[in-house]
Amino acid sequence: MTITDDLRALEAEALAAVEAAATLDELEAARIGYLGKKGSLTAVLRGLGGLTADERPIVGKVSNEVRQALEGALESKRARLEGTARASRIAAEAVDVTLPGRHHPVGRQHVLHQVVDEIVEIFSGLGYRIAQGPEVELDYYNFTALNHPPDHPARALQDTFYVKDLSGDRAAVEGESDVLLRTHTSPAQVHVMEAQKPPIYVIVPGKVYRRDVADPSHLPQFTQVEGLVVDEGITFGDLKGTLEHFVREMFGPDRRVRLRPHFFPFTEPSAEVDVSCGICGGSGCRSCGGEGWLEILGCGMVDPNVFGHVGIDTEKYTGFAFGMGAERIAGLKYGVPDLRHFIEGDTRFLHQF
Amino acid sequence: MRVSLKWLADLVDITLPVEELCDRLDMTGTKVEAVHTLGEALDGVVVGRVLTREQHPDADKLSYCSVDIGAAEPLKIVCGATNFAAGDKVPVACVGATLPGGMTIKRAKLRGLESQGMMCSATELEVGGDGSGLLILPDDAPVGVPFAQYYGLADTVLELEVTPNRPDCLSMVGVAREVAAVTHVDYRVPSGTPEESGTPVGDLVSVEIADGQLCPRYTARAIRGVTVGPSPAWLAERVAACGTRPVNNVVDVTNYIMYELGQPLHAFDMGTIAQCDEKKAIIVRPAGEGETIRTLDGQDRPLASDAILITDPSGPIALAGVMGGETTEVSDATTDILLEAACFDPASISRTSRRLGLISESSLRFERGVDPDLAARAADRAAMLIAEVAGGTVAPGIVDVYPGKRPPAHLPLRVGRTNEILGTSLTREEMSALLAPLGLGVTPVGDDLDVTVPAFRPDLEREIDLVEEVARLYGLENIPSSRPGGRGRIGGRTPAQRFEVRVGATLRAAGLDEHIGYAFGDRADLERLTWDLASDEQLVELINPMSEEQSVLRWTLAPSLLRAVSHNRRRGVSDVHLYEMGTVFITADGRKQPKERLMVSGALAGAWNAPGWNEQARQLDFFDGKGVLETLFETTHAGRWSVRASDRPWLQPGRSAEVIVGGDVVGWLGEVAPHVLDNYELTGPVVLFEVSVPALVKAASRESISYRDIPRYPAYALDVALVVDEAVTAERVTAALRSAGGALLESVHLFDVYRDPQGTPEAQRRLPEGMKSLAFSLEYRTADRTLSEADVRPVHDKLIRKVCGAVGAEVRA
Ligand SMILES: [Zn+2]
Repeated sequence: MTITDDLRALEAEALAAVEAAATLDELEAARIGYLGKKGSLTAVLRGLGGLTADERPIVGKVSNEVRQALEGALESKRARLEGTARASRIAAEAVDVTLPGRHHPVGRQHVLHQVVDEIVEIFSGLGYRIAQGPEVELDYYNFTALNHPPDHPARALQDTFYVKDLSGDRAAVEGESDVLLRTHTSPAQVHVMEAQKPPIYVIVPGKVYRRDVADPSHLPQFTQVEGLVVDEGITFGDLKGTLEHFVREMFGPDRRVRLRPHFFPFTEPSAEVDVSCGICGGSGCRSCGGEGWLEILGCGMVDPNVFGHVGIDTEKYTGFAFGMGAERIAGLKYGVPDLRHFIEGDTRFLHQF
Repeated sequence: MRVSLKWLADLVDITLPVEELCDRLDMTGTKVEAVHTLGEALDGVVVGRVLTREQHPDADKLSYCSVDIGAAEPLKIVCGATNFAAGDKVPVACVGATLPGGMTIKRAKLRGLESQGMMCSATELEVGGDGSGLLILPDDAPVGVPFAQYYGLADTVLELEVTPNRPDCLSMVGVAREVAAVTHVDYRVPSGTPEESGTPVGDLVSVEIADGQLCPRYTARAIRGVTVGPSPAWLAERVAACGTRPVNNVVDVTNYIMYELGQPLHAFDMGTIAQCDEKKAIIVRPAGEGETIRTLDGQDRPLASDAILITDPSGPIALAGVMGGETTEVSDATTDILLEAACFDPASISRTSRRLGLISESSLRFERGVDPDLAARAADRAAMLIAEVAGGTVAPGIVDVYPGKRPPAHLPLRVGRTNEILGTSLTREEMSALLAPLGLGVTPVGDDLDVTVPAFRPDLEREIDLVEEVARLYGLENIPSSRPGGRGRIGGRTPAQRFEVRVGATLRAAGLDEHIGYAFGDRADLERLTWDLASDEQLVELINPMSEEQSVLRWTLAPSLLRAVSHNRRRGVSDVHLYEMGTVFITADGRKQPKERLMVSGALAGAWNAPGWNEQARQLDFFDGKGVLETLFETTHAGRWSVRASDRPWLQPGRSAEVIVGGDVVGWLGEVAPHVLDNYELTGPVVLFEVSVPALVKAASRESISYRDIPRYPAYALDVALVVDEAVTAERVTAALRSAGGALLESVHLFDVYRDPQGTPEAQRRLPEGMKSLAFSLEYRTADRTLSEADVRPVHDKLIRKVCGAVGAEVRA
């Protein structure tokens, strides 16, 4: 037996051991057994020192070949074993992907404020700023400056909430207060016009109050969005075009808009605005009461008397104003049958939008 | 305003189908709210002929009849009426018919005999007239024909929404004029003068008006020798079509004329009016101090001094424009009628009718404004009709006191200006053609128009009113759409408004749903919350609240959120996370309007999530609320903030804190106190917080955000557990660590708090009594190299020694 034969025998034995290894641990044991510091192949190679100069190149070549073969076998076996191990781990880790995911709660914006924000966004894009005003108003701002005659029925105690006036003047003592909960966002128009010269382009969202008993179609408190434009050369056509743009943005490009002449004390000419029913498209169905149209807002050209109260030159400037109810629009958009849902805070309602 | 199309057709040619007419009215400003088809209510009522009438064998007051209704077999009907005989034609309600009063006719046994229907009186059919017996129809009434058809009840009634500026449309003639103008046809104004005889009215009646402001015109006519009784069918039917129950022929004529022409009338029993100088003396004057009147509904009405009274020398006889007086009411015994057609001050009528809660068709018209020119014409026509339906003779002439007579108003209409306002390019002629059919006098003056306004259009007072008429008759749909050019405007939200948007977005990202509650509050919430107002604070009180629970304005959002949590709990939803951003109100002596403050509040109850297959539900507590505020302050950059333990009576002591920004208390946070939970029918814990939004805005506006280098070298972390007295707060230890940390200490993170559980036996205690252990992870870092233990250890040891000295801590072994 030459040393070369020994090497070849060892190679065969080692390759068999590698092949026999069933796990990565057994494979590692085999590696250490042959190629480790105390491994059998290492021992053989260590014995090369005793060879003759003739033998050394031949044995050296063979031993290199053996070592490379063994390392190659180890590597490919490791790769195979690792592949198997990963595959079985993957198999073990498989889940039922239809099980529910872990849930991080994210809150919802109230649907009314979603609607208000949408309206505000649309008008912001048209160059409107957002104005606000007090919710507890004076009769002057809520009615008088908005051209309501002194005996206008809306002023009556059965329609408008009045607030106790603690200023100590006589009216308060008599209980005929001129302090009230605003019945519309329109008084903010007057505040804006008092504070600012034209051009004025504002949108006013906010809460308003009327003495209605809460039922499916009334609430004593609701949410209004008001718009006001005062500038040179503003026409009724501008009002119409603006609202047509708004309705298409808000309800979709295929909805139609119509303006019907109406009466409001603080605008003239005035109109009510209808949008074509989204369900029947205008032919009439149950949700639009057979009319094909749904009333969504009121509007008009600012009445010269209103300009008179705030000292705006009616010959130089014209303007328009419009107002809509967020509850009405949300109700139409989402088919909410009872306005009281908006104010109860039931999370099962809030989570729908 | 209810408009019978059958009646309207007498006044104007209706050239459009009903649906198109409605559209046309809608689009010109007279909204059609509903369309009623009359006669439907009388389905199943037919004309019948009584064949036989026999005495009911077992009932004295009943008869047993055989009635032909054109069917194969006559009906057998038991009847209680007595005013008929065999051969009479009567309305018969067959089995299954439902009468206007709601009664459904059924097959029924009456004293042993089956009745297969019912013969009807005028009252039962609500067609006007006598209810004391059957309605006997003329001999030529065709048997078997539906009664509604035969009686002419089939009609279409439009319910019009008449806006307050259009009093003229509260009459058939006004509506006819409007229909004519918008459908381009002519209309007819009914007129007529009575045949007169006998003593002139001027010798019978005198009229005096004390205040021409309150009563611009008063006319009186006299009709003598009338017979008060049921109205003829045509009259009853028309009055009923307008929605008024027929009363008697005289009253029905006054109502008829009111609906036809728009002039409310009042008929007095002339015999009951007191005389002066041998004339029935009418004096129109304001009510005196403390004066009362008994109105014809039998009520004594106390009057304010601006109420207008019709009086005679004996005292008040009618509340002008609102309701007649009891003493002068027309009754069956009345023979002489004094007919009033007048005009009263709209504001006064409005105040009086609202104050007394007496809102009538008459007051509604007067408060909107009745054309004073109309009175005499209306009186003429009414006198003629009364004589026609109630007999009697009309005294010659009319007493007419007209202090408020005014020449017709002229308004200029600038063609150019009109087009500028509307965005149209109409010519002068086009505008003129739009306005003239409304009854306006239109004359060209230069490039523009001069418009004469008739008295029936009191709403046309200014040029802009005419511009509106041009717009609506031209058609808003024909005005070209455009959008404002508007140079130099700026859109979008202000910084404070953008901040509010961010607050909401952050709270939602933190898991809270937005709630909107009532701004109304309940004074009892002060008690429920055990909330003490500051001595200079008062709640904002409503003078006319809808209910006790909504009688003030809220001064905190807390009850709104607690109620919403409670609402959810009652409906079986246990995990509730809500926030609300809204105004709170507080006032003080000397203030007219309250202070309004924008607050943001949150409520957390239950767990973030329902338990899942792979996670457990964790009960939310104080620290979840605090975590939400931490997120809020960090994300919105609302400045350096801190909390300080501080009891609020509605929060649980030891689990409540004040929120402090820049040294100011800007809000509070804590778990709701058990007694408050009881008051809102809740089980805890419920975490609540409330913070002033403007305070956050202010803090955020002071804060400037600037870039810091991202570290390139790793940090060196060392942990330490410090044992301190319970009274030493985590914040104090953290602050001591930070302040003593020097340049290398980058962050201090509290990762554990340990206390021996309550009741741990002495031998097993790991900490001395009254002490707790706070475990911190300290990270050291420098910007230009990786730190080694040799760099950090000496710094760390020195820091710990210093902190131990400062807060009385010992390092836990
Ligand atoms: Zn529809």
